[in-house]
Amino acid sequence: MDPLIVGGLVALATVIVLFSGVSIGVGLLIVAAGFLLVFDGARSLEALPEVFYGELNSFALLSIPMFIIMGAAISSTRAGPDLYEALERWLTRVPGGLVVSNLGACALFAAMSGSSPATCAAIGKMGIPEMRKRGYPDEVAAGSIAAGGTLGILIPPSVTMIVYGIATETSIGRLFLAGVLPGVLLVCLFIAWAIYDTWRRGAGHVALGGISYTWAQKIEILPRVLPFLAIIVGVLYALYGGVATPSETAAVGALMCFIVAIVVYRMYQPSALWRVLRDSTRESVMILFIIGAAGVFSFMLSSLFVTQSVAGWIADLDVNRWVLMAIINVFLLVAGFFLPPVVVILMSAPILLPIITSVGFDPYWFAVILTINMEIGLITPPVGLNLYVINGIAPDISLRKILAGSLPFVLCMVLAIVILSIFPGITTWLPNTLMGPAQ
Amino acid sequence: MSSERLTTDDATLPFPLRAIGAISTACGVLASFMILASVLITCQMIWVRFVLTKSTVWQTEAVIYLMIGATLIGLPYVQKLRGHVSVDLLETMLPPRMRRGLAIFTLVVTTLMMGVMLFYAWEMFHLAWSRGWKSETVWAVPLWIPYISVPLGLFLFLLQVLSDLLALILRLDPQSIEITQDRRH
Repeated sequence: MDPLIVGGLVALATVIVLFSGVSIGVGLLIVAAGFLLVFDGARSLEALPEVFYGELNSFALLSIPMFIIMGAAISSTRAGPDLYEALERWLTRVPGGLVVSNLGACALFAAMSGSSPATCAAIGKMGIPEMRKRGYPDEVAAGSIAAGGTLGILIPPSVTMIVYGIATETSIGRLFLAGVLPGVLLVCLFIAWAIYDTWRRGAGHVALGGISYTWAQKIEILPRVLPFLAIIVGVLYALYGGVATPSETAAVGALMCFIVAIVVYRMYQPSALWRVLRDSTRESVMILFIIGAAGVFSFMLSSLFVTQSVAGWIADLDVNRWVLMAIINVFLLVAGFFLPPVVVILMSAPILLPIITSVGFDPYWFAVILTINMEIGLITPPVGLNLYVINGIAPDISLRKILAGSLPFVLCMVLAIVILSIFPGITTWLPNTLMGPAQ
Repeated sequence: MSSERLTTDDATLPFPLRAIGAISTACGVLASFMILASVLITCQMIWVRFVLTKSTVWQTEAVIYLMIGATLIGLPYVQKLRGHVSVDLLETMLPPRMRRGLAIFTLVVTTLMMGVMLFYAWEMFHLAWSRGWKSETVWAVPLWIPYISVPLGLFLFLLQVLSDLLALILRLDPQSIEITQDRRH
């Protein structure tokens, strides 16, 4: 059978199997095994455990549990609220101070925890009640935190970027750097919208702030915030200084975050430490299992020549590369509505990357575009995890209001994709300047 | 966000199912410590390499094996906590009776798939064991040691899935049809 038709059948089967509600890792194995059995015979199934094992047999993958532990250790402390306090005290005189400090805290905490829902929960618990108390509309309070939380997968260190780096064999350090300026761009767009929306809803006066803090109050909070930030900066420095690999720096970062959690936040009860370890194990196992299964899935795709044929077919179509990019964006967006970012990346990156690079797009630029698409999926139904996190921490704001507050931020993200497409330099300038041009 | 029920092994479950739950929890503890060990070993390796400026032999390989082991041994525990992500859109749209049917169906296909994987994983381990394969590194680890985690982890995972399936069919654990998940990344 024509590999292209097989590819179409694989896509259809994958959608059906995954929508049946079977866990994603198992679902990918089922589709892979099914197609191998039908098109390659029963003997090909022998290879499955070996491919699965081989996929996990990589030192680079170790950075995933390490960064997850780092994020879990930070998230388990009061670091989120402290960070929020610190920014609020320091930025109180900036117009729109509270929204600015909320989104700033989201961006920084996103960098530290690497997790979108964790960011939403940590900053939202303090930020949403505070914003509402000072008269911000519910929609702005909920929407800005939901959107700010999504930055977790874009701003480094980000597990999503690591997975992209591993799936496409691109440099993780370079990917991290590529996410920085687009992250800042998104924060600026979010802030601009939040302030405008506040003013539009007739609450403009609250955005001007008013509470002032003494220098003593401003200084007093720093010792609780700086250690974690210092670790993140240290980890990134070690990574870019070429001192160590991502896995090595992440291991040291994880250990140091544990130590700071114990020393600064006095989290020395065994039960608290166990909770951090347990949560990170649960999440790491879930992701690594999907990675192994996705390895088997792409083994099936290339054994049946699907990957190669799809890439060849698209090259033969000879469409304008921006039309192609628009189609890919729609595909990613739809996939992101239903599937977690890691899964979308693992399944689509190996197929999409050769196509992207063959028409002259930068793989690092594409990583950022892909990630922003995944961010949109985090605040749109039906999955929209962040929406439910906000609903959980502020149950008296209706899901409808949270959604109404979040949707304009989706448009901000789409705008960011357009801006980045017109000015790809925003993505590539920082990595190229600091690490030299990519080969 | 995530709904983890730490007390799946509640007293209402019959002994065999509780025992399987306890084994899965033990697996979770073991996997957690394997991940912790890999953090510490990696730090030790960095210490040896950058501070003592000596070369390292076994660390890189050991942490990879620990991570693979933790992933597989951790599977039953994550299953027990309902921590494996799935797309639950269809499920939430179905009436309760059909939702239960669908949950049974997904657990049955999971059992079959893991059974196939287990069969071939055992063969992979057995081949490495009987032929005395070693890793192609200075350390030359007998490969059956890392390989055994694959059939072992899959077996324990299968056990927990079967236990969940039984609980669902016999209506022992009404909550188990609320398949909830965590989509963090």
